[in-house]
Amino acid sequence: MKQENMNKADFLTSIFLFLFGLTVFIISIKMPTFRELGANPYSAPGIIPAILGIILSFMGIILFIRSVIHKGCKIRLSSQSIKLFVKSDSIKRLLIALFLSIFYVILLGKINYFLLTVIYIFIFIIAFEFSIKKSIFCQSKILFFAFLESIFIAGSIAFAFRYLFLVRLP
Amino acid sequence: MFQGLMQLGYELSKFLTVKLIFDVLWSTQLGIIVGMLPGLTATMGVALMTTLTYKLASSHAVLILICMYIGAIYGGSRTAILINIPGTPANAATTVDGNPLAKQGKAGPAMGIATTGSFLGSLFGMMMLAIFTPILGNAALSFYSFEYFWLTIFGIIICGTLTAPKDPLKGWISGFFGLFVATIGMEGMHAYRRFCFGNIDLGGGIALLPAMIGVFGFSEILMVMKQPAVKIVSRKIEKVIPSLKDIMKYWQTIIRSGIIGTIIGAIPGVGEDIGAWVSYDFAKKASKEKEKYGKGSIEGLIAAETGNNAAVAGAIIPVLSLAIPGSAPAAVLLGAMLIHGIRPGPLLIIENPNFIYEVVAMIFMATCAMFILGLSFIKLFCKILLIPRERLMPVIFCLCVIGSYALSSRMFDILVMAVFGLIGYAMKEMNYPVAPSVLGIILGGLLDKNFRRSLILTEGNILPLFTRPISFVLFLFILFTILSRMKWFEDFLKNLKVIIIKPFKKKKTN
Repeated sequence: MKQENMNKADFLTSIFLFLFGLTVFIISIKMPTFRELGANPYSAPGIIPAILGIILSFMGIILFIRSVIHKGCKIRLSSQSIKLFVKSDSIKRLLIALFLSIFYVILLGKINYFLLTVIYIFIFIIAFEFSIKKSIFCQSKILFFAFLESIFIAGSIAFAFRYLFLVRLP
Repeated sequence: MFQGLMQLGYELSKFLTVKLIFDVLWSTQLGIIVGMLPGLTATMGVALMTTLTYKLASSHAVLILICMYIGAIYGGSRTAILINIPGTPANAATTVDGNPLAKQGKAGPAMGIATTGSFLGSLFGMMMLAIFTPILGNAALSFYSFEYFWLTIFGIIICGTLTAPKDPLKGWISGFFGLFVATIGMEGMHAYRRFCFGNIDLGGGIALLPAMIGVFGFSEILMVMKQPAVKIVSRKIEKVIPSLKDIMKYWQTIIRSGIIGTIIGAIPGVGEDIGAWVSYDFAKKASKEKEKYGKGSIEGLIAAETGNNAAVAGAIIPVLSLAIPGSAPAAVLLGAMLIHGIRPGPLLIIENPNFIYEVVAMIFMATCAMFILGLSFIKLFCKILLIPRERLMPVIFCLCVIGSYALSSRMFDILVMAVFGLIGYAMKEMNYPVAPSVLGIILGGLLDKNFRRSLILTEGNILPLFTRPISFVLFLFILFTILSRMKWFEDFLKNLKVIIIKPFKKKKTN
């Protein structure tokens, strides 16, 4: 990340961190002390979280001041910069990997583990190696090996965890 | 001393069975492969292996994990030398002189020297572990709640400072965030559920391994996939075995790097990468051939590799004696030990004193396997680098998912892994080191318990936290570490130095 963007990110993070620390502190001081049960008040469960909340808020303030000094508060978002950001190859690759992986996690337990893993690995490979511009026939090798790898890997993982480690698959 | 050696010999003899030697060889080789592949780190390897070995007997599982750890830290040197990309962060310093040597057509000798350096570093660290773990363990027996409180804060501050040298504030934020994460779930004194908001799964707390697999596994997958693909240029690998003359010439560098690597490794949460850089830096400053550094210096390569592998054993010293990890892979190792019913910490020396020698024997086995495997089948295993990341990363993700799930068969752990993966990715993008967070998750419980205990003992008086000798020393260390990163304090120290030295200078001129 460029330094200019880093300052902007720091500015936003500092606000989040301050509010987060403050929330932690408020929740912590509302925690019971169990004094009515005869417990020592210094054993209250909220002591350490409250201190951590204060520290996180304090560090948020320092980060805020620092980012303002470095002009991180000047956040200008234009539609062109957003377009450029989304269209960049690295972001595309990241988003494909992220969405495929998140969908895999969401669908776990709802579809058969072996089948889902085969589909996930197959689509992951195809998403990065397959080109829409070329014909399917000249890329049949990619499809075949992606399918073979997905079957083999999903089968090996499912077999190892189910029968060797005796884990009930999700 | 003699009794210790006898004990070590006995523990070593226990591992000399065909089955265990076979396990040592495959796990070390797997570690080397994990280390070699950019994007797969030693932490990820040890974490995934923990999930694969949790059904084994404790010593058997720990042996495999140590082999994976040592193999991975060494394995990264191959990628660093051949393609100028460190296989693991620990091998970043290796690229500086390793890759120029490969460009000069000396890839084979460079890998041989890196292997020998790693071997000697690991042996040196192992000896330090055998000597200092019982000493530190005995010293830790005199630690009370007050000292443990400061020790955890010290760990977070020093780890944050060293893993984010350019911006320690981000390291500290990361560490304190980790401490907060550790407070989620049921606390130990009143069984009160903190920050659970009625969620039953959160009541059990955030499990360390799924969080670590997320932070070091899933986030790394996203980072790797975001980067453009690296073109692998095949290099000719000839003679690998280094000459004894080359090694003996730099014996001082080896010993120095071994000492530095072990010490840096033993500092909570700091890790092998810093061990390698500091060793490299010291070697450069003390070298007679400074001009060769960065252009293919054998001495620089030896220093970096000796330093990072010595740090492996160094990182295990606080794991065994204080139950505080010296590095991220050591944190997973600590978690694995706890899963297997081993209780590292000051009481280990009383409850299970043989275990220290058992670990020393394990490190010795892993080091020997690394040396043998490191000098053989190089050409064959370097072909693994040709596997495209698009084919490797989905497999790693599937292992991250099933590994997180396997430990307690909870879907919630998969969710923890995914969420921490996203947090880890965001942190890495914004230059927040993730190691302090992980250390925070481990030390959070210790901090909470010991602070409240010390308050109960003193009826709310916090003065003993500053008046007890060890506590006071730890507090001063923390204060100095924080202040030393502030500009006004640096200027103040410089002025103070001038004020102190000035009168003496005048006297000299008179």
